[in-house]
Amino acid sequence: MLIVRPSTFSDLASIEKLANQNSAKISSLPQQRDKLSEQIDISTRSFAGDESLAGVEQYLLVLEDSESGGVLGTAGIDRCAGNGHPFYNYRQDELIHSSHQLNVNNKVPVLYMSHELTGKTLFRSLTIDSKYRGTEYFELISRARLLLVGQFSELFDDEIVIEIQGALDDDGTCPFWDSVGRHFFDMDFATADYYSAIKSKTFIAELMPSHPIYVPLLSEAAQAVVGKPHPLAEPNCQLLHREGFRIGKYADIFDGGPTLTARVSDLNTVKSLQTKHVKVSESTRGGVKYLISNGSVSNFRCVIGQLTDGIGDVIRISQALAKALNVSERENITFAAL
Amino acid sequence: MIIRPINKGDFDSLCYLAKNTGIGVTSLPDNPDLLQSKIDRAEESFSKKIDSDHAKYMFVLEDTQTKKVVGLCGIEARVGLEDVWYNYRISTTVNASTELGVHKQTPTLYLTNDLTGCSEVCSLFLDAEYRKNSNGLLLSKSRFLFFADFPDMFSEKVFAEMRGVSDDQGQSPFWDALGKKFFTMDFSRADYLSGASGKSFIAELMPKHPIYLPFLSDEAQAVVGKVHENTIPARAMLESEGFNFNGFIDIFDGGPAIEAFVNNIRAVRESFKRHALVVKNPKETDDDDRSKLKDLYLVSNRSFSNFRVALVPASSIRQDTIDIPAELAEHLQICSGDVLRAVSLREAKR
Repeated sequence: MLIVRPSTFSDLASIEKLANQNSAKISSLPQQRDKLSEQIDISTRSFAGDESLAGVEQYLLVLEDSESGGVLGTAGIDRCAGNGHPFYNYRQDELIHSSHQLNVNNKVPVLYMSHELTGKTLFRSLTIDSKYRGTEYFELISRARLLLVGQFSELFDDEIVIEIQGALDDDGTCPFWDSVGRHFFDMDFATADYYSAIKSKTFIAELMPSHPIYVPLLSEAAQAVVGKPHPLAEPNCQLLHREGFRIGKYADIFDGGPTLTARVSDLNTVKSLQTKHVKVSESTRGGVKYLISNGSVSNFRCVIGQLTDGIGDVIRISQALAKALNVSERENITFAAL
Repeated sequence: MIIRPINKGDFDSLCYLAKNTGIGVTSLPDNPDLLQSKIDRAEESFSKKIDSDHAKYMFVLEDTQTKKVVGLCGIEARVGLEDVWYNYRISTTVNASTELGVHKQTPTLYLTNDLTGCSEVCSLFLDAEYRKNSNGLLLSKSRFLFFADFPDMFSEKVFAEMRGVSDDQGQSPFWDALGKKFFTMDFSRADYLSGASGKSFIAELMPKHPIYLPFLSDEAQAVVGKVHENTIPARAMLESEGFNFNGFIDIFDGGPAIEAFVNNIRAVRESFKRHALVVKNPKETDDDDRSKLKDLYLVSNRSFSNFRVALVPASSIRQDTIDIPAELAEHLQICSGDVLRAVSLREAKR
């Protein structure tokens, strides 16, 4: 069975392998062991409710194959985008350049450096083993976060933002970076991206010049990709769109990729969450498939399984499912339709 | 050859000159109504019918033998007091990180109104046939004698906008990389509108936020602060008079605006007052003329509303007087004993 659970240090090697497999680089999962290890540490303390992290918790979930113990995917949540530092985006805006005398009104797209998304809850580091791409398990690892956020809304902000990887050429060059950031760094996208991973995105962003950028002054290739997702990220975008996320007016300052935003309470998964008492039952024939999670933060589990309605607030689940979710009789589970 | 204020009778000559100016001489649009209003404005300025802050003086160069107007120059007393005067200022943005080994200086263009209230020397134009015998210098530098006698009518600082780089077809690389992206119009059209109605309404369509220079094409970056090939001598001349480029450029073609404090301009600083002594007309001797042309003095009659300037040979400058031949005295509207202002046309060789 595939189970979503908090990451632990024993996942390190496995996550590292996954991060390196993800050569298309459509995830914000760090590829450096030190950085990964630090993230797992912060995540472990966050799930445990470490008060020194209050307000800047960072959670990292993994998708585990319970038989092999291997990690097949990851999904992260930052309580607070920027983790206590400014979180940078370009806000896509428009200025009207008008002349009454000439009777001309020109709409000019402009990118403003913005911190507006700082402090909102950030979904990040979504990866899945390429074999599982396009399966229900992709939905499991991605949507498991919504079960966590939906159940424990007091731990998160009212709004969620998700940054989507922007367009790259086949050779790894980034048209947006080449037309914007490169002028101020004299380094290619891969190098800047490397520094962004080992230092922090904020660190690099603070080296970027802060004046607004007039889009018509960028190369045509760059103009074409502002706010556009990488083709590989499109299926995920569609999934998120169905969920209720919308492409906002923000673009990544490095690759120009879009940012999706939603209020937690508007999301379909969150709206449809139900919580019932468990009745462990030997015979659970048929039933509809659900995303199911237990009611714990520190021992959070989320799986795909079949449920059979019982009487009143009772729901029947199989022994195996109960074991996977780490729940026993009369404890609560929370679920949403797959 | 004599410099004098423009008047109504010069209308036809002005129209003729306007037809012969190229793109880039925005202050002389080929539009009779506008030219008429420029003449009217100048007449009101010389007769002090309008506030000195709003004065726009225009002078013409007249061939005294043919009575033909062959050149034009102007002074705008204070720019940007009626409309809004725009320039880009070239500034520097640095982003640096010792950890990353990054230290990058990025030239950045800021839209400013910093020259508001300054005096501008402008509208210089000389008929091609007369671009000889120091006529260009006479035309341009005569204005400095006007400044020298009437400093209260002007700002302490004076500037000149120099024509930027454009090709034979009137294409400006700076405009193509910047203005055009915001303004669906080619440079010559924008240039015409600018001369016709002032720059400010075009500036309304231009970007207000700073522009990082690397966002512009290489061709555009290369011409920032550079003058048109034909304007190189004019720039050199003003620089020799003490004008400096301090980073202000034209928002359309990227040409430089060069500045000087009035009392630092050589022709103002070195000018002196001396009495006129009207003498007999010299006999025409061509050989003499040629050698005399090398060492010339500008002489003005120091009149505001009937301002006149002409060139005289250095040999006319005496210890206490300046010899003025009778015919020239008539053109200068002076008689013996009047106090003139004079300065050598060129900087003394050191």
